Amino acid sequence: MTAELARRGFLHGLVGAGIAAPIAAVGAHAAAATSVRAGAPTPASDAATTETAAAGPAASYPFHGTHQAGILTPAQRNATFAAFDLTASGRVELADLMKAITDRARFLTAGGAPQTVGITAPPADSGVLGPQVPADGLAVTVSFGASVFDDRFGLTDLKPHRLRTMEDFPNDDLDRATCDGDVLLQLCAHNPDTVTHALRDIARATRGAMQLRWRKDGFVSPPRPSGTPRNLMGFKDGTSAPALAAASAPDELVWTHAGGIEPSWVEGGSYHVVRIIRMLVEFWDRVSLHEQENMIGRRRDSGAPLTGTHEHDDPRYETDPTGDVIQLDAHIRLANNRSPEQAKQQMLRRGYNYDSGIDVNGNLDTGLIFACFNQDLERQFVTVQKRLIDEPLADYISPTGGGYFFALPGVRHRADWYASGLLA
Amino acid sequence: MRQGAKYGALGGAVVVIAAGVVLTVMMRSQPADEHPDAYAVDAGISGCGTGWVHPTAGVQIFDVRNTSIAGMEVYLQSATAKDVYLDLESLGAGSTTRGQATLGAGRYQFVCLPADADPIAGPVVTVSGAKHVANATAGIPPVTQNDLIPASKQYGAWIESRLPVLQGETDALAGDVTSGDLGKAKADWLTAHLEYETLGAAYGAFGDADTAINGMPAPGRNALDDPDPTGFHKIEALLFSGAPASAIAPYTSRLTNDVAALRADFPNTRIDPLDIGLRAHEILENALQFELTGETDAGSHTNLATLDANLTGTTHALEPLRGILKTRYPDLTKTDAAIAATQRLVESFRGADGSWQALANLTTAQREQLDAHVDETLELLAPIAAICDVRRPAT
Repeated sequence: MTAELARRGFLHGLVGAGIAAPIAAVGAHAAAATSVRAGAPTPASDAATTETAAAGPAASYPFHGTHQAGILTPAQRNATFAAFDLTASGRVELADLMKAITDRARFLTAGGAPQTVGITAPPADSGVLGPQVPADGLAVTVSFGASVFDDRFGLTDLKPHRLRTMEDFPNDDLDRATCDGDVLLQLCAHNPDTVTHALRDIARATRGAMQLRWRKDGFVSPPRPSGTPRNLMGFKDGTSAPALAAASAPDELVWTHAGGIEPSWVEGGSYHVVRIIRMLVEFWDRVSLHEQENMIGRRRDSGAPLTGTHEHDDPRYETDPTGDVIQLDAHIRLANNRSPEQAKQQMLRRGYNYDSGIDVNGNLDTGLIFACFNQDLERQFVTVQKRLIDEPLADYISPTGGGYFFALPGVRHRADWYASGLLA
Repeated sequence: MRQGAKYGALGGAVVVIAAGVVLTVMMRSQPADEHPDAYAVDAGISGCGTGWVHPTAGVQIFDVRNTSIAGMEVYLQSATAKDVYLDLESLGAGSTTRGQATLGAGRYQFVCLPADADPIAGPVVTVSGAKHVANATAGIPPVTQNDLIPASKQYGAWIESRLPVLQGETDALAGDVTSGDLGKAKADWLTAHLEYETLGAAYGAFGDADTAINGMPAPGRNALDDPDPTGFHKIEALLFSGAPASAIAPYTSRLTNDVAALRADFPNTRIDPLDIGLRAHEILENALQFELTGETDAGSHTNLATLDANLTGTTHALEPLRGILKTRYPDLTKTDAAIAATQRLVESFRGADGSWQALANLTTAQREQLDAHVDETLELLAPIAAICDVRRPAT
């Protein structure tokens, strides 16, 4: 009970801070960013929660801050994950690229009137969002892949210590053409036209310096009918993150800290994992509800653990030690058995559904863009993923793409730029 | 044609309908030191530019209404130079359209250009405040028909000078096929085709002659099974699929005739001054769309060679515009450098024996480098077409 209240308080705290931010943003971007980071279940954030419920999601999220937006930011309804390879040569060109992305992201996330060019050029803006570009809750989250730290830019010694090329896990079916990449842009906004406008704008401003390698567009479903949004297997996805309830959670589970084996520039960044997981939905739809629920460990309708009644009930594995109710290899039990050891393995999940087309059999190419943020890639995502190897659910999903990235620290102020700590 | 369609899509009622909404948004999002309101400006025979009063430096938004009974074009220009900051084209009688410019302090005026009458200069308006403002709109003198005629003549003369060379090369190709030397024919086919590809035939510039000389198969067909193409790509398909000389000869013979026809006809055609600016970026747009996708490959796998020729063609299309662009386009030097760098990269995909790598054989990294170079060059070429749009002279 306490855990549930705290968890809700944390999430709502985030939303509250988000909606408060544009008001605070007039003079104090940094302060607003700090309040997102604090995100504690306080009476103040409860008050903001009430407002949020009435007002809907924030019109904009602050661009400047210790951390990037798009991580703790409540998931906007639409996203694209676009991985680029660098074609810039040398560190100076790489720094120029990062400055160019910073300029565009700063403008796009605030909105406003595009540059006027008179009779000297085609229009500076595509016009997709009308003559005045609305922020529309856009967050631009920039992450680097391990390949940035190969021998091309002389950055080998500055690689975030745990960053590496995503391995093939035993149940994976990865196509390397839709994996990896030097720079990942995670663009999230309330509406899909805002997302595609941002991608088009940034790509245009950076043509010579990076090239699209792969992309995947996603959406978050509305609550059906309530609670956590459902994935395309019909189950509520992302319900459980009990350890993230604490106010200290971001610092312990999300943000990477400098020092020890990590280089100093990584402070305030986060290991960003993206996995394109196709769901074999035609097959899944031919599986009995009982079998589906046993594989997941939750009721499909309510999202409740099979040992409970409501979505946010604790699974109380101690009352079910032999897996009579929630099987020992059920997805939720393997992912997190609620032991103190596994609490520190939890990650901040921020996934999107995708629905892309068809395969050669005429089956739907649909599934989940699993995205998560980790303080420590190895301790969190990789450890949990290894526990999921050969889980019963593995027969119904097919991970095809994605990669390991490092979400850069935030752009702190108007003179700062992405990766300045690495490249300046 | 293409240009007209592009601008046509921008016209219409959208702007007017959106105006109320836009204003509301702007009142909230514009910084306090900029004018949040649009000036209602009249553009007419008896009064031009009235309504723009007491402006201060920064963003200027105008709702310009054509009060005359015919079509109108409106410039916002410097009162002391010929620099134009805003050009509202095709403003219908009685219609209102929105325009925007970001101006530093100085003296400006509206100039109204009725479709078939002399320009009417509006009152000189002094913009007060800062001389230099952030994101200022660049002003340049418009490029006129008179500016472009010498450029298009120069470009036409260059093309004309190349046509005898092309004729000689297609004759050589036909001779190879007649004598049954298909190995030499392949080499001579490439030489002739690349010559043609430097001539900037992008987007139908040579009309029916281009279809005859360099026509592509219909969608869903290929150059072998589609009876319509007869030129370079039909010959390519036959040559590189091992067809006998007797099957190729009718096409090489026909090609020499079609080139002769182009050569005879070309001096009588005039390159539209509007086209010269467009050509400078469309040749490479065309290459990106049809060569770098491999779409035109009928078996020779020489798309990279074609791209190389198209880059040469771009340089030739740009050449006569240099005088016009020198004072109007600050990135001209950067553009030249980008074309040169792209061409160096493309030519690095050519072996010591002169053979070209197939597009499909490039590694992902090579392909990305190539795309990045072409894309960046295209972004730099795009303003040239906009600058060289044919406009009426400034006052």
